[in-house]
Amino acid sequence: MIGADTHDPHALESRLVSTGAERLALLGKHAEALMAGYTRDEVPLAALSEAALRKLLAARILWRPDEQGGVKLAPKVRELIAEMLADESRRHVNADVAETLELLRSLVQSYREARDLGEHWRQEQHLLRLRQEVDDLNGRFADAIDSLWQRLNSDFGFVSRLNDKIRENDRAQKQIVRLLDGLALIDFDELIELVGSDGALRKLLISQLQQQLSQHYTGLREVQRRLIELMARFRQQQSRSRLVAGMAAFLREHPGFVPGNYARRSEVPALVNRATPLTAAAAPALDRHLDVKVLTELLHRLPAPPHKPQTVTAAGPAEAQEASLVAARQQALKQDVERFYLTVIDHDGEALSALAYLRASDMAWTDEIWLFQVIAEFQGLPRGEQCAFRLHQEESQASPFNHLRLIHDVHLQLALPA
Amino acid sequence: MIERSMVEHAMVALGPLLERLLAGEFICAVSDESAFRHLEDEATREQIDTYLRPLNRRLAANPEGSVYFLAWRQLSDDAREQLSRQLGDTVNSLLPLLEWLQLVQEALGRDALIAPGDVLKPAEISARCEDNQSLRERLERLATDGFFGSQSEQLDAQIKQVFKRLREHGYLLQPHAERQVYLVTGKIDYLIDLVRFIRDEENLPVEEEGAATQEALL
Repeated sequence: MIGADTHDPHALESRLVSTGAERLALLGKHAEALMAGYTRDEVPLAALSEAALRKLLAARILWRPDEQGGVKLAPKVRELIAEMLADESRRHVNADVAETLELLRSLVQSYREARDLGEHWRQEQHLLRLRQEVDDLNGRFADAIDSLWQRLNSDFGFVSRLNDKIRENDRAQKQIVRLLDGLALIDFDELIELVGSDGALRKLLISQLQQQLSQHYTGLREVQRRLIELMARFRQQQSRSRLVAGMAAFLREHPGFVPGNYARRSEVPALVNRATPLTAAAAPALDRHLDVKVLTELLHRLPAPPHKPQTVTAAGPAEAQEASLVAARQQALKQDVERFYLTVIDHDGEALSALAYLRASDMAWTDEIWLFQVIAEFQGLPRGEQCAFRLHQEESQASPFNHLRLIHDVHLQLALPA
Repeated sequence: MIERSMVEHAMVALGPLLERLLAGEFICAVSDESAFRHLEDEATREQIDTYLRPLNRRLAANPEGSVYFLAWRQLSDDAREQLSRQLGDTVNSLLPLLEWLQLVQEALGRDALIAPGDVLKPAEISARCEDNQSLRERLERLATDGFFGSQSEQLDAQIKQVFKRLREHGYLLQPHAERQVYLVTGKIDYLIDLVRFIRDEENLPVEEEGAATQEALL
């Protein structure tokens, strides 16, 4: 090479070539220091002599971004190394496919020769090998895709930190690109030519392989799409955490912070425009005949409306907060009514009038309160126990002009099984 | 004529949803999946808007469209007054809410914020806070903050109060009244969007994007 240079008639070109060669040699000579700079951001100066450093800076392989800072790889050199390394890993997978293809070609050749010579046994052996190789190729893609799906479906559960998940996702995406590159190496036009008119080869290397590879291709594209989606989600999660942490820190540092009043702008931002809640209220109306009937029925089904809050919560623990006198009276009333219920049970199916019971006793409850509590107690019973009693209300219509009914007394009896 | 009655029929079916929206609820895929699916349909959204017109309201959504709520159609002075007050309340509750988000994230040992659909159990958070003095103190400070307003000194009561307030504000949902299991709703998305909006509007020095070098490598 150098010898050729001295005979070159064009001096300029020769100088160019020699300078270039010198500088390329610099790359090789300091390869380790430069690679250390590639992985660690800064080039370790201890590994370089003063003269070597000067040469590397002059060749613009290294540069000093600022006077005080360390020495770094020139961006172009960094790119070059990245390119070379990426190609290295890419070549690796492609080589697998390329090697298999090479093997397939030579096996087809051997198979043909055996067929032409009429050596059936050898022909069969070659076909078997071919089949194994094709299966193997298929299996490698299928395994890779399977492992990608597993990683994807577990949300990269084997690493816990979001940053690691992002890194793993990125690696998986690169792997997909390599697999797709590998698939692209398989040229069916070439295979069609290779197998010629042989039916068995055609079936194996064209129709079967094509179908399998197209499945792999679809599978890979699908995983790729999902990985990209997942990556977007990871990134969104990451940015949300940062936003919340940053905003919280800002608000802590600036306790008096008040944002602008967006509600006073001519264009109120969409997020800020939230209408006041509105309750869709409705009240019972008696101006429609049909409704009156329904409402009356509802009214009848109400368990003693004026005392409802007391009676229903009578035994509840919230009771403790009520004025103790009221609570005690309420409790006494409840106990008296319970005693009435027990008496009814003792009477074996005979109906007892609640008012008659009240009168016969020395209890001081007013009729109204007593009846309400008896009815409320019935309403408050669990469904199963309610069935054990029959409550009959003795009532009449309050006036001919409405459907209000007055309860005069209630009869309670034990519902004995027929 | 037939078409009109069909529209009316469809609106009747949307009655409960309208009522919830009018009551000021945020509707998301977690709070009401079928209602949310209805709202994703443009024709339905138009029908609802038409219905809401006399009430001076319209359907609105956050930028990603993950949560729907009602906005004023025309902004009267009264409406602006109401919005100013509401904004003031929101800004005042911002720090406790953000600190709660961070606290839960740390207590559960995650590196992502809670998101709509996540399940939260007060007992789990309580257990983590019991084991960790710093979390315990932060929760105490948070629970007694005006927004959450706990009066208790007991950890469990404080957590209960915090969850209660978050449920009242629609950030959490309790599917079964008797079970202490909560779901995070899409209103969290709204809160984050609002934070991002304030950050952008006020040019606050709050970073969101990941380290640039890492992105460049990808």
